[in-house]
Amino acid sequence: MAKAKIAFYWCASCGGCEEAQVDLADKLFDLIEAADIVLWPVAMDFKKEDVEKVGDGSIDVAIINGGIRMSEHEEMVKLLRRKSKLVIAYGSCAHMGGIPALTNAYTRESILKYVYEEAPTVTNPEGKRPKTRVSVDEMDFELPEFLEYLDPLDAVIDVDYYIPGCPPTPEITWEAVSSILSGNLPPKGHVFGSDRALCYECPLNETKPEKVTLDTIKRVHQTELDPNKCYLTQGVLCMGPVTRGGCKALCIKGNMPCTGCFGPVDGVSYQGAKALSYFSSVINIDDEDAFRKLVEEVGVDPLGWFSKYCLGKGTIKRR
Amino acid sequence: MSEEVRGSEDIRIGVYVCHCGLNIAGVINVKELVEYAKTLPNVVVAKEYIFMCSSPGQNLIKEDIEQYKLNRIVIAACGPEMHEPTFRAAVSEAGLNPFLIDLIAIREGSSWVHYDDPKRATEKAKDMIRMSVARVRNLEPLEKIKGEVKHEALVVGGGVAGLTAALDLANRGFDVHLVEKRPTLGGHTAMMGVLNWEGRRLSGREIVRTLIKMVKDNPKIKVYTNSEVVKVDGSIGNFKITVMRKPRYVNERCNLCGKCEEVCPVSVPDEYEYGIKKRKAIYLPYSGAYPERYVIDPNSCTFCGKCVEVCPVNAIDLNEKEGEISLNVGAIVMTLGHDEYEPAIGEYGYGLSKNVITLSQLKRYLSDDGPTKGELLVNGTKPKNIVFISCVGSLGTTPHANQYCSRTCCMAALSEMLHLKSKYPDANIFYVHKDIRVYGKDEKLYWEAIDNLIKFVRFDEPPKVSIDGNKTFVDVYESTLQERILIPADLVVLVTGMTPIKEVDAVRSLFKVGCGGDGFLKELHLKLNPVESLTGGIFLAGTATGPKSVAESIIAGSAAAVKASILLAKDHIEVEPLIAEVDESKCSGCGICVSICPFNAISMQKREDGTRYSKIDPLLCEGCGTCIAACPSAAIQQYGYKDKQIIPQILAVFGR
Amino acid sequence: MSGEFEPKIVVIACHWCTYQAINLAGTSRMKYPPNVRTIRVMCSGRTDPQFVIEAFRNGADGVLVAGCHPGDCHYVNGNMKTMRRTVLLEKMLEQMGIEKGRFRREWISAAEAKKWVDVVTEMVDQIKKLGPLKLAGRGDE
Repeated sequence: MAKAKIAFYWCASCGGCEEAQVDLADKLFDLIEAADIVLWPVAMDFKKEDVEKVGDGSIDVAIINGGIRMSEHEEMVKLLRRKSKLVIAYGSCAHMGGIPALTNAYTRESILKYVYEEAPTVTNPEGKRPKTRVSVDEMDFELPEFLEYLDPLDAVIDVDYYIPGCPPTPEITWEAVSSILSGNLPPKGHVFGSDRALCYECPLNETKPEKVTLDTIKRVHQTELDPNKCYLTQGVLCMGPVTRGGCKALCIKGNMPCTGCFGPVDGVSYQGAKALSYFSSVINIDDEDAFRKLVEEVGVDPLGWFSKYCLGKGTIKRR
Repeated sequence: MSEEVRGSEDIRIGVYVCHCGLNIAGVINVKELVEYAKTLPNVVVAKEYIFMCSSPGQNLIKEDIEQYKLNRIVIAACGPEMHEPTFRAAVSEAGLNPFLIDLIAIREGSSWVHYDDPKRATEKAKDMIRMSVARVRNLEPLEKIKGEVKHEALVVGGGVAGLTAALDLANRGFDVHLVEKRPTLGGHTAMMGVLNWEGRRLSGREIVRTLIKMVKDNPKIKVYTNSEVVKVDGSIGNFKITVMRKPRYVNERCNLCGKCEEVCPVSVPDEYEYGIKKRKAIYLPYSGAYPERYVIDPNSCTFCGKCVEVCPVNAIDLNEKEGEISLNVGAIVMTLGHDEYEPAIGEYGYGLSKNVITLSQLKRYLSDDGPTKGELLVNGTKPKNIVFISCVGSLGTTPHANQYCSRTCCMAALSEMLHLKSKYPDANIFYVHKDIRVYGKDEKLYWEAIDNLIKFVRFDEPPKVSIDGNKTFVDVYESTLQERILIPADLVVLVTGMTPIKEVDAVRSLFKVGCGGDGFLKELHLKLNPVESLTGGIFLAGTATGPKSVAESIIAGSAAAVKASILLAKDHIEVEPLIAEVDESKCSGCGICVSICPFNAISMQKREDGTRYSKIDPLLCEGCGTCIAACPSAAIQQYGYKDKQIIPQILAVFGR
Repeated sequence: MSGEFEPKIVVIACHWCTYQAINLAGTSRMKYPPNVRTIRVMCSGRTDPQFVIEAFRNGADGVLVAGCHPGDCHYVNGNMKTMRRTVLLEKMLEQMGIEKGRFRREWISAAEAKKWVDVVTEMVDQIKKLGPLKLAGRGDE
């Protein structure tokens, strides 16, 4: 029986998802036993031409992480889509844009200007910018274009499944990969992980009083968290209520409130908006001036707090 | 509530555009709207008519439902407040679920306000129709929610409003449970003693006695004095109440002989005499109190047992324990009453001189059944100069005063002034006032006062009261004469107003009723629903909602009884089904919704595996939708206002 | 007047207060610009911030969320949740490139037909000056 063909690819990626894949550890060998890896830029030497050579749909599953930031990413994922039966968006960036999607709050021009001209350690008095094409000694060199927005994978190609997380846990990764390899295909569009938000599996959920009302809010570093009490009740933002579970509440058990990397549950399109909504609902301040004052004093940064990983799904693009 | 499985349902929409005579058609191109509506997906028929709300208009819809098998209706006319019930009834008659229609106000929202630009008014109306079609496409059939109604009532508070409400309800045929926190019925009317009525002075206790006799004689009213409600569960039509009866320590064998009172070693200020007299720890609140027997005040009693020794009929049991009573009622009338504003020590000299008293204390002095049998003696002699200061604690006269006017104090004060003048014709009586508010028929008190040479001194700045040994002086800047006046007063009477009862926050959170900015219980609507609260099944009457006279409280008590009886007369109530519901399969048990529901309609449940999920009581849910917006899992939806019924409207604005 | 930019403003209005004010403006025949498209909810507290973002995403030049004055909410304090949500949403939208003035939250009671008219007129004027929602600086796509 022919072995399944798997491709891995990284777009605008920090490398963390690759580490998570490698963290499969001994399961990795099971994977290599079960499948032929035909592309894996971080670990193996296959090139774009190798992918272009294979027949359309001949790759069984392409696992792609990172956001679509450069024209090259767009090109490669479109190629992989053509060549693959299934495409999986792996990690928060491919799923929802991830942390790099926060750059969608800035224009392309302002980003490039900062990086190449304004940053404190840059000396570039002539304001030179990278070109997409240049000829040197009669050789043509190309660089990909920096796109206007950072998009999640499904803005550019059709995605079959999502493995959420920043990075996804080894458990979730293995659960997804093995179910696909064994032919146990979930419905298209399925996001692996729990069907319910993190509170469902969080060990601190039962410590909540009947009504959760916050008289004030703090940032995590402004308080010492009691590890045995729900963090929300201690006045800090926990994204747990608005985040898909399935990670076994790792961060909670590590004394940190959830920051939302698994994205929302089904039915919520933009996690950042729901997080803003739920959190402001339980703050018990009815005087607008007092509330505005608190927001300024604490330094609430709505995008950073509520949309840390998901701005790719909430970006308002000009119509 | 069951939902039809939508799946393959073929949505067939009928759009009806009303001319409303020329109100719409005079500005908007109705034909254009009809033609446009026909182009929208799922619209099977689009028509116009001159008055959709008329019989022929309604019949048009009914016939089309039949003929074209329509299952959703859009009516572009006036707004839902006008004719939603009309059209709901009409489509019901044609066999279509009444919640599958949408009425949009192209009249109020377009033709009546954009009459200067008919083209854009028509464009806006088109958008409104497109939005309505988008909404209606996703509407689902709904059924009204039924709840049972228990034909019993709870009245909380046994003052005149509560007594009246209880009597009216009992006479209507309902069993009534009347719970009163004090050891006797009668509230403030019994305490204050004397009432003013069109210039006459009546005994408040007489009025109360009359009401109490009727209550006593009515077998449908059960009275629980010395009792408080401690738990309220359930909702409109079916409240489960727990009442805690505090021990009285004196049982029904008491024959009012008073021997216990004689030997009791403890003396405390008598609240039924506004502190001008003392009572013992074992006491009879007032003659004619109900129940008519002594009671022990556990806060001052030392439980020495002397009274037990002397009681000839063994009526005292110092070991009496509190008791719990469970009630199941369909409606609640809250007649909590009020407290009197208590001046602070030093406020106009209050508490620093015994010559500074409140109006209530004065009324007790002047009552025939008071501690001085109606005689007022100051320093052993009849008073010469009596100065009344109005608006003490009211009208924002001082920084910690309430802003509102207490309504009844001026007429009470003037009534006492006239009585004083007739009793002590040589006395000089001053009314140092901010404003005079004697309204209606009591206006004549004012003119009588002038005829009787009562001197009116008006202030903008509150007067200062200074005490020099036995003498008191009232220093006031008269605003009309623009002169400073210093009045040596034998007696200073502070005219104080009404405040909410001190435990109002605890009580109202028990019943889940709201209060206004001033702390009084809040009516559903000041004019249209003055005796209903925001919580279904709970009615409000008397001074609990704001200062009122005794007559006004009695009127309110009757009104609340009428409103409550409308509910109690039903076997079932039907509640609008536009409420929220939790999809348990999506619920993570995060508890956010429970925390924010203002009606406490949501509670946490446990699954078998120990995990939690929330559940909404359909009879308590008022349909605000706040939980839906807050639910971080989108696990809650509101019937009629689901995300899938709102977001398509937004997309439809832009033609998507 | 063709060629002049006419903004489209999405309004989310609560049934008990703002929607009644809109009706009152109608029965009083008060004139105002025809640029708003109103969605009625029972309480401003029903307003999910996602609605506002969907509106901007799909073409709204401005969004107005309107409810009852503090203390007047028919459902006790739904408007207080709206207050807090909209304070933070306003901040978030600015971070996302939506200029101040495009998103507003107002308290409009059932009797305040004039306030409704004034707010709409003001918003239309202000957004006309801001121009269509372009998310400043982004090139044509």
